[in-house]
Amino acid sequence: MAVGFDIDHLAKLARLSLTAEEKALYSSQLNQILGHFQALADADLPATIDDARVVDEAALRSDEPGPVLGAEAVTRIAPASRDGQISVPRVVDDEA
Amino acid sequence: MADALHTLAAAELGRRLAAGALTSRALCGALLARYQAVNDKVGAFTHLDQADVLAQADASDARRQAGQGRGPLEGIPVAIKDNIAVKGQPLTCSSKMLAPLVSPYDSHVAERLRAAGAILYGRLNMDEFAMGSSTENSAIRKTLNPWDLARIPGGSSGGSAAALASGLVPLALGSDTGGSIRQPASHCGVVGLKPTYGLISRFGLVAFASSLDQIGPMARSVEDCELLLNALASADARDMTCFGPSDRTLTPGGDAQKLRIGIPKGFLGKGVAPEVAAAVKAAVEFYRAQGCAISEVELPSADLAVPTYYVVATAEASSNLGRYDGVRYGHRSATAGTPFEMMTASRSEGFGPEVKRRILLGTFVLSAGYADAYYVRALRARAKIRAEYLAALAGVDVLLTPTVPTPAFKVGEKASDPLQLYLEDIFTIPANLAGLPAISVPCGKSGHLPVGFHLVGAPLSEAKLLAAGRLFETAHGYAHQQPAL
Repeated sequence: MAVGFDIDHLAKLARLSLTAEEKALYSSQLNQILGHFQALADADLPATIDDARVVDEAALRSDEPGPVLGAEAVTRIAPASRDGQISVPRVVDDEA
Repeated sequence: MADALHTLAAAELGRRLAAGALTSRALCGALLARYQAVNDKVGAFTHLDQADVLAQADASDARRQAGQGRGPLEGIPVAIKDNIAVKGQPLTCSSKMLAPLVSPYDSHVAERLRAAGAILYGRLNMDEFAMGSSTENSAIRKTLNPWDLARIPGGSSGGSAAALASGLVPLALGSDTGGSIRQPASHCGVVGLKPTYGLISRFGLVAFASSLDQIGPMARSVEDCELLLNALASADARDMTCFGPSDRTLTPGGDAQKLRIGIPKGFLGKGVAPEVAAAVKAAVEFYRAQGCAISEVELPSADLAVPTYYVVATAEASSNLGRYDGVRYGHRSATAGTPFEMMTASRSEGFGPEVKRRILLGTFVLSAGYADAYYVRALRARAKIRAEYLAALAGVDVLLTPTVPTPAFKVGEKASDPLQLYLEDIFTIPANLAGLPAISVPCGKSGHLPVGFHLVGAPLSEAKLLAAGRLFETAHGYAHQQPAL
């Protein structure tokens, strides 16, 4: 199990911006933790995976409309809103 | 009433309330006084609305007066970990990401507690987003162990365990992804139960690792823990993994003196502090003397549990925490820019170091080129661990181990070594990986610090775990000891 992650790439995937200090710290800690995971690489494991289901019954409910929070409650907890809608930075340019 | 109400068990408080010897207002008033005297020392609560508590207490007393009491929890306060939604109360997960958020809705368990007449009593501190084993990762405040204020209370439900141990509240809710109910219960000398995966709805629990997360009851006695569990477990279509006790029959507890107890080979050896091992061995001898059949069982893949857990849990966390993008709720960076820059800045400002570490780790184990080597192998290891536990539990009723290998450590002692902290969970993690119920019960002290033993049972065998715990508790009464504060 070769460990060779690119901390800049990982941070970008995770949508995190890290300082140089954080990059050094997390790189060293992740290397240490991944070293401990070597036991997984060495283990004799079954071919099947565990999909975490304890219950066999079909647990899906019927797809029917139910109560929802509503715009007032949702915009009250949003970081920014206007006219009953959540506002965000411009996503699409006018010129596009 | 001469005896201090804050020391009494919920079951006893319920009897006094039912007999008319106590009102919920008097009880809440006494606990609020205790809060004023003790919470700043221990740091268990992050929020408590005293006027709201008294209003709920008055409503409960009025119901009881009108003959409309709702059962054994009527008028009894239950404090709630700050990752479980209660309408109108803060829901912060002890994170700067959510800090000003007030929940617009009730979790399923909050609905259940209201229906049972309980008082929804304040918000309890935790490791940020339930990631940690010491509550040191809270962005809001430090919580300290009531038995030794220089030490950690455990985590991530450290506020819950510390509040119970210090007499701030008789009942509390925690959540448990890898031991977050049982490990702090052990460190604070209280009882904590992680139910079978699916027994209690997680609707309204902020998601960390969805294939592992469970809400569970915490209390100062096994009897109280059972009282709270009974109020919480019920089917709920809003959590598709929740089946509820009406759909599946709980295994009856039976005669605790006839239980067959398995001791996993090697679990009392390497890495376990001698005083912890001695206290747990004494518990084994107690059960033997009671007539229980004690045998040794093999769990050969035990060493895989910690790496398997930290791959699965961080993978799921990196996905679940993707929702914190500064758009719909939570922290939004004041830094202007593109949506991508806004999301990245919001997450970087809002999350603390342990959450970032786990998101990075989870992102890595799921990333192209590495997912097969880490994530898929962890799922295969999880299948193996589950199969071994179920095989062992086919021959015995419960497995008994320490809850944690060592007593509570000093604040800051493991702060710079995340891997050492992850190893705190070595005995508790397999129950989450295998979806099994498990309980931590106090069984003595290492010096002045509490020690707990851990019972794991087959799916839906909660009643057996509780019966075994009650047998021990009735004979010993460790759960009723209180630290001097």
